Amino acid sequence: MIQLSREPVAQALLGARGIAKRFGPVEVLRGIDLELRPGRILTLMGENGAGKSTMFRILAGQLQPSAGELTLNGESLRLASPHAAHAHGIHLVPQEPLLLPELTVAETMFLGRLPMTGAIFRHVDWKDVRRRAQAVLRMLDLDIDIDSCAKTLSLAQLQLVECAKALLHDCRIILFDEPTSPLTSHEVDNLFVIMRRLAADGCTLSFISHRTEEVLEISDDIAVLRDGRLVDSAERGSFDRARLLSTMVGRTLRDIPRRESSYVTEQTVLEVDGLASEPSFRRIGFQLRRGEILGLAGLVGAGRTEIAETIFGVRRPTAGSVRLAGETVTSKPCHDLIRKGLVYVPEDRARHGAVLSMTIAQNVTSGLLERVRQSAGLLSDADETRLGATAVRDFRVRCAGLDQPLRELSGGNQQKVVFSKWIATGPKVAILDEPTRGVDVGSKEEIYELIEAMARDGMAVLVISSETEELVRLCDRVLSLYEGELVAELTGDQINPAAVSASYLGSAHAEGAP
Amino acid sequence: MSAVAMPSRRRAIAPRFTMTRELTLVAVTVGLTITVGLLNHDFVGAQNLRFMLLNSVVLSLVALGQTLVIAMRGIDLSVAPILGLAAMVCGLLAQTHGLSLAAALPLALCIGLVLGTINGVLVATMDIPPIVVTLGTYSLYSGLTFIYSDGTQVDAVSPTFAAFGNGHLLDVVPIPTPVVVLLVILALCWYVLRHTGFGRAVLAIGNNASAAYAAGLPVTWVRIRVYALSGMLAAFAGLMFLCYTGSATVTAGTGDHIELQSIAVSLIGGTAIAGGRGNLIGTVLGSLFLSVVLTALVFLHVPPIWYSAGEGLMILAAVQAGFGRRGARA
Amino acid sequence: MSVSPTVGATPGDDLTMAKRRRRLFSLGGWELSLLVLLIIVTTSFGLGVPGFFDNLSGFLAMTSNFLPFGIVALGLSLVIFTGGIDLSVGATASLAAVVAAQLWATMGLNIWVASLLGLAMGGLLGGINAAVIVLLRIEPLIATLATSFIYTSAAVAVAGDSPPSGFPDAFNNMGSGAMAWGSFQFPYQLLIFIPLAVLFWLLVTRSAFGRKLVTVGYNSEAARYSGIRVPRVLAAAYVISGMMAALAGLVLSAYYSAARADMGDVLLLTTIAMVVLGGVSIFGGEGRMGGVIVAVLLLGLLRQGMLIAGFSDMVTSMLTGAILIGSIAIRNIFSTRVGGFGKRLLALIRRPAIAGPDATRHDAP
Repeated sequence: MIQLSREPVAQALLGARGIAKRFGPVEVLRGIDLELRPGRILTLMGENGAGKSTMFRILAGQLQPSAGELTLNGESLRLASPHAAHAHGIHLVPQEPLLLPELTVAETMFLGRLPMTGAIFRHVDWKDVRRRAQAVLRMLDLDIDIDSCAKTLSLAQLQLVECAKALLHDCRIILFDEPTSPLTSHEVDNLFVIMRRLAADGCTLSFISHRTEEVLEISDDIAVLRDGRLVDSAERGSFDRARLLSTMVGRTLRDIPRRESSYVTEQTVLEVDGLASEPSFRRIGFQLRRGEILGLAGLVGAGRTEIAETIFGVRRPTAGSVRLAGETVTSKPCHDLIRKGLVYVPEDRARHGAVLSMTIAQNVTSGLLERVRQSAGLLSDADETRLGATAVRDFRVRCAGLDQPLRELSGGNQQKVVFSKWIATGPKVAILDEPTRGVDVGSKEEIYELIEAMARDGMAVLVISSETEELVRLCDRVLSLYEGELVAELTGDQINPAAVSASYLGSAHAEGAP
Repeated sequence: MSAVAMPSRRRAIAPRFTMTRELTLVAVTVGLTITVGLLNHDFVGAQNLRFMLLNSVVLSLVALGQTLVIAMRGIDLSVAPILGLAAMVCGLLAQTHGLSLAAALPLALCIGLVLGTINGVLVATMDIPPIVVTLGTYSLYSGLTFIYSDGTQVDAVSPTFAAFGNGHLLDVVPIPTPVVVLLVILALCWYVLRHTGFGRAVLAIGNNASAAYAAGLPVTWVRIRVYALSGMLAAFAGLMFLCYTGSATVTAGTGDHIELQSIAVSLIGGTAIAGGRGNLIGTVLGSLFLSVVLTALVFLHVPPIWYSAGEGLMILAAVQAGFGRRGARA
Repeated sequence: MSVSPTVGATPGDDLTMAKRRRRLFSLGGWELSLLVLLIIVTTSFGLGVPGFFDNLSGFLAMTSNFLPFGIVALGLSLVIFTGGIDLSVGATASLAAVVAAQLWATMGLNIWVASLLGLAMGGLLGGINAAVIVLLRIEPLIATLATSFIYTSAAVAVAGDSPPSGFPDAFNNMGSGAMAWGSFQFPYQLLIFIPLAVLFWLLVTRSAFGRKLVTVGYNSEAARYSGIRVPRVLAAAYVISGMMAALAGLVLSAYYSAARADMGDVLLLTTIAMVVLGGVSIFGGEGRMGGVIVAVLLLGLLRQGMLIAGFSDMVTSMLTGAILIGSIAIRNIFSTRVGGFGKRLLALIRRPAIAGPDATRHDAP
């Protein structure tokens, strides 16, 4: 055991009672009770969308709970801001720490709190900065040069610097928001060594993950969230892989309507062979046939989006080939692929999908400007109206009019517009990355029906989804991805929620799942 | 790029005391001086060396302020008219009312403070992009100069001004007063940027304003102060211009496009246009380099019309040399 | 989760009609305010300042004094739509005009052929800007700052000691002449500007290129994912901006009947002011061409009116500066998008993200 703090260790017990959080009509958290105890590591587990990050943001003062209360050492605690949380010794280590690329590591750690010295000329006490930064990094046994620029550090190093920062400012409660998914296994091991050391020193740690092995390895306590509810919580000893998986997935008994008809034909339209883009994924090979709906399952960070981007030509492959309708299209630019009939509906709407300042109609036609009728070089208003109106009708976009800027729509409605933009091009192959993210339940079913209709019309569809139910509901076949490699292929009756979740949650050991 | 995959960056190397950019600039400047000196011995004569040094002082002063602004991820085009207005007001008052140098100094600084603060307030509190704000105040401030001068110009200031602009601080050491003043101001600015909370906040804002805000730094206040400081330095440069040239016209500053020159030498000096890094010593060396290049062109009998092309090529070369490029991570 | 009740319009004919109406008058609130301001300015000068509006011909003739700015503003706005900037428009205008004039003066080319070559020269200079920006990946601000220095030198060099002057009357007419029907006179400059304005307006609002331009400016990543060839769009914007600058240079040399190497210098600041006042975001991706056209007329007429009223040239440019800042300040204060200070701060460093909570995204990294 090492002594990290200069003062006697102040123990902190952070509690949450009945925490609920609503965003508009959507309940993200419902009555969560948690207890973060000193010297222990509590893991929050759950599938994507279970509410883990929201819970953390409430604990760190970034969000206010709609109901319930927080307690610190038994006393009621109100965290109005991240500053307040910090003042109470609560530090959240984000998955991707805010970057100050040109500042040194030491200065990054002291941002906003640089120690000053000097009676007349107040100036930064660099000696103190360097000494304390050095000391805390040494205590954590981190081999990071405090004088190097933040931009030269890896993501893993930045996370570790964030841990050091927490200690430096005497934060005894450290929350790690899903730190491991972008890290390599070696980096994860490093992080765990540090986390154990902090816990041994009496810090209160909490951690988000959905990788079962690592949860069982590092945790003292485990709390499993599902659909915003705390479904199970106990000491690690009482958990095993099977219990973890079944509580996380929790739907083994629930009946999900499977699609009855299949439109799969024998005609292969997309062939991916040995595709790799290091370090994200490697050895990916599959075939997609006309009328088929193929699911790509896996954890966030498993490389699903990267595969889609590589097929779509916006990311460089390091090996392998892609054939579209018999023609090799490996690393062709995406505008070529779109013309050849391959479209990609990206996951990140704000970054890749839409122009929020443009109107609905303009967004719908932005992918197929060449196909809008033109007279004398001008886009036909009637044609654009027709396309826009069709999209709005087919996707039940709730809007005030076709000329409403996209920015004014809700997230779900924005997604519908983006989605329709690509479908309107009538592609041969459509890659849909999280097609129903941010879409309300009612609209989801509509989108599913639309995807089915696409398959019926002979389109080949690749659906990337973190929602098991969605894959089960839609797919003829599901491929499972774990850390950049295909680990399972499920067909027919194998496609049920338990099997799908287990296939990627349990990595290569999927057979062991209940 | 996806949110998840992030290639690990190369292992850290300590960049703290490497002064690559400064050393390169010194080497290139000295090399150029020697090369041209071999072709024409007058170029390395004491007279000419002194001239080149003095010639860079006014630009250096303006560019120091500009560097601070750019390091904060802003831009200040209004430095040129601020320089002009300060030179004109001090010059006319000295010419007609016998304003003393001792009184002119605080007056110039006040002018710069007020005009710079106006820029700062507009940028920091009104959410107007800095380039738009300073473009607007560019016309406003040049208009003020025009109205104030009312068609007259300054051509006869008192000897104390000229002595300040051309003399030596100590008769023993043959270093011109403006150069000494510049070095003192450079040292002050360097100290402020390197060692004060304000200076570190400037860099933090330039790196990532939302992170700086989240860390509790007084972002608005720091922004205002930086523009005020840039204004004061420009106004002081105006006074220095008046002392050095002994004259001031309505187009002082704006005529030479000193606002563009100051941006250029900041970039040459190694300040990142995307903010977050400011190299004040590099800026001053960059101004000196520019002065040497322009004088060398005279000595090499290059027609004066090509001087500005030379500046343009220098900017491109400096930026290509690795600084001021579009940030890899926006 | 629950299904929120369906609100808003039902798709159908109403939607279609609403859309058509809005599209015919592609003017938002900002453009309308500018238009109202333009009407107020024109009427008040017309009523209050003798000589501003004595007759229609005289009123129209006044536009010849500022339309070269408008021509540059049209081209420049394309560049600003992409999120870039072109500081070299002034130098480009001078260089292209001087080259054309020298071709006429020293090589004896027909003035109109020389003018066409001047336009091509402008396009070429714009192309150089685009090459520096796209191929060398240098910020547009820096790239065009550097090229403007280079173009300025070249212009002075080409102009030589005695800049060409004394063009044929037919050419000079383009700058200062007017078509006459009896006593009614219609300046040729306006004859050039009006079709160009309509052309650019249609280009931005109704053409595929305009759509791509705005998409690139709003979010070049999104544009790439939509299959837009971003470098091509950027190159086209800078080439067009260069050509418009060249045209303005030619018109200016016709106006003065001389091609001076420094005549383009005045163009830059005023034209940026016109584009920004017109509502085009300096960050790109937002704004309307109609606003730019109204802003050209507003700033131009305001300036002329003040000059006629006896204000000095400087006072009028001061007013231009004040209007530029004031208008954007007012717009930001009343803008619904700018919320608390934190939001403003974010807006300074990047354009605003999606509005509204997006429930299921909260657990995503």
